[in-house]
Amino acid sequence: MPTWMTLAKGPAFLFVLTVLTLGLLRLIFLTTWDIILAIRSAGDRRLPYRQIAIQTVSWLLPLNRLHRNRAGYSLASFSLHVGILVVSLFLRNHIDILNANTGIAWIAISKPILDALTLVGIFGISALLLFRLYVYGSRQLSKFADYLLLLLLLNIFLSGFLAGRPWNPIPYDGLMLFHTLNGMVLALLIPFTKIAHCVLFPLIRLGTEVAWHFKPQGGSETVKTLHGPEGRKI
Amino acid sequence: MTIPSEKTMETSPPQQPYFYHLESASITELDDRAEKFLSALTAILRNSNYHFLIELYAKTSAKCGRCAESCQVYQTSKDLRDIPCYRTNLLLDVYKQYFSSNGQLLNRLVPGNSLSNEKIDEMAELFYRCTACRRCTLDCPLGIDHGLLAHFGRYVLSEAGIAPKGLVVSVREQLEGTTGNTSAIPLPALLDNIEFLQEELQDMTGKLVDFPVDQEGAEYIFFPAVSDYLMEADTLMGNAAALQAAGISWTIGSKYYDGINYGLFYNDWALERIIQKLLEEAHRLKAKKILIGECGHAARSARQFVPTFANGRSLPVVSILEVTEQAAREGKLRLKKDQVTERVTYHDPCNIARSGWIVNQPRQLLRSFVNDFVEMRPNGRENYCCGGGGGLVSLDEIYDFRMKVAGKTKAEQIQKTEAQIVATPCANCKKQLRELVDHYKLPVQIVGVHDLVLRAIQL
Repeated sequence: MPTWMTLAKGPAFLFVLTVLTLGLLRLIFLTTWDIILAIRSAGDRRLPYRQIAIQTVSWLLPLNRLHRNRAGYSLASFSLHVGILVVSLFLRNHIDILNANTGIAWIAISKPILDALTLVGIFGISALLLFRLYVYGSRQLSKFADYLLLLLLLNIFLSGFLAGRPWNPIPYDGLMLFHTLNGMVLALLIPFTKIAHCVLFPLIRLGTEVAWHFKPQGGSETVKTLHGPEGRKI
Repeated sequence: MTIPSEKTMETSPPQQPYFYHLESASITELDDRAEKFLSALTAILRNSNYHFLIELYAKTSAKCGRCAESCQVYQTSKDLRDIPCYRTNLLLDVYKQYFSSNGQLLNRLVPGNSLSNEKIDEMAELFYRCTACRRCTLDCPLGIDHGLLAHFGRYVLSEAGIAPKGLVVSVREQLEGTTGNTSAIPLPALLDNIEFLQEELQDMTGKLVDFPVDQEGAEYIFFPAVSDYLMEADTLMGNAAALQAAGISWTIGSKYYDGINYGLFYNDWALERIIQKLLEEAHRLKAKKILIGECGHAARSARQFVPTFANGRSLPVVSILEVTEQAAREGKLRLKKDQVTERVTYHDPCNIARSGWIVNQPRQLLRSFVNDFVEMRPNGRENYCCGGGGGLVSLDEIYDFRMKVAGKTKAEQIQKTEAQIVATPCANCKKQLRELVDHYKLPVQIVGVHDLVLRAIQL
């Protein structure tokens, strides 16, 4: 088992980190480039950048929007995101693995705080799963992949939390390997699934505003493409 | 939506496949609608700025369903298909299947999973069950604009030959017809109407109020919803009286006098051509600014798209509400406070409130002379649509849907205010609200903001 763990924490980790980093950088680059091209071809290039920035940032901390609707859902979603981000980025063991492979490290947060945040994350994931299962609209909208990603997250959080407990009934090495492999699968999926919003989020509201800034002649060019230079009548 | 089965089609004459009327298409004529839809989608993505956004939305849409809570159509119908992200995902799924590398690969590996006519029919119905009010955008954590996607979806459908007859016929008359406006009012009839309005105003006020036509070099060229000339005499008289009282130079153009732009609702090609007509007339008369009358979508489409399609010849676009409110604030317009004694509430047209810039101006104006003004809850940018937004009000064949589903929330809102008058600066909202108060037998009068200004103005 330790050999597997060594492999997972070493070459496999590096592979996953490379795919994740390059995948996300590619997404950011391509989306940003597309937005720049769209702005350049727009008939009106004036954009309310400040307003877009305020809107985007205000949704990073959506607690002031709880009153609007589905407060429970928002709270669960916020818990999930805080749990994932803080625990995955600031756990000493995670930073050590990163440091051993890349030489990069940063400050860790103390374990009792992260244990609490892990529980917050578990609450968030479980609540979101229940929402998807029991709220009619959400259940109908959900596809298999939506459940799969949440289950994957739940696996990671539960196994990580259990592994650190003295009363953990499951063999430590096996549990850690399970935790690590689930984490790697999730990391590999990020650039290719909707979790990509972790880096694309700041670009969505900007993109929406840009898309309302139409390209002049776009309509007539479309008609020419479809009907030839003669065009069509309405 | 009822689509006859093959067996039914053999024995029945072709029927309209959608819940609104298409102009000419029977089911047989629309047999290749999936293919046409894909061709239209390809062409539009190639020639527009939508492509990157569809890609971005396809990568990030989480389908959390939070938008369901803010959609008045879904809240009334409780039909899953009315949830904004359900509708949006129909389109995104087509995009992913045919335009993403994963989808294309999957299509090769598992052939036979092609886009069906039934899927097109579902989109064709759902994109027109949406009032394009964009209230759902307030609640999407990721910032996905389902209203923009409804607009895009309708655009693709229209280029595939699927668009409501009510919209197409109006736009055709406006762009290719002899009268050049959506209500098919010929110029002589317009001039007669203007003369009648002048006489009416003189009878009411004892003053001559001019409706200038073709005055070169005026500050403003005025484009109301052209239907106001037929339906909203008080609104137009209020507009003219306010402009005269404020000492503003303005004109109506005889070559083009329609503010309506249904292109905003379903087709970018039409949208751009209509904006060009506005600009052409404004430049012909050397006007300095474009003034839009009481019409939500007309004001928004002009304000948002004149700079886009002006090709370096842009002009400022102003709403009549801004002008009148400013005149009242500066004391140029005197409004008597004892003329409107009823309880009045205000309905925000979505296009100028949530998607625009007109929220406080009409309220400040109304509060300056209406003694009993009450607000609906919610209001302003969070208002509920009248239920006829996105051009639905022009589709008489979906009257039941507009009354019982799309407009029910608004009717309840109006009832709660116990107002006797609802003022709203939008021709489409007024039509829908009048139908709503008739349908629900509400003791309320629906008027334009300037109808009340007309009652209170001192010339």
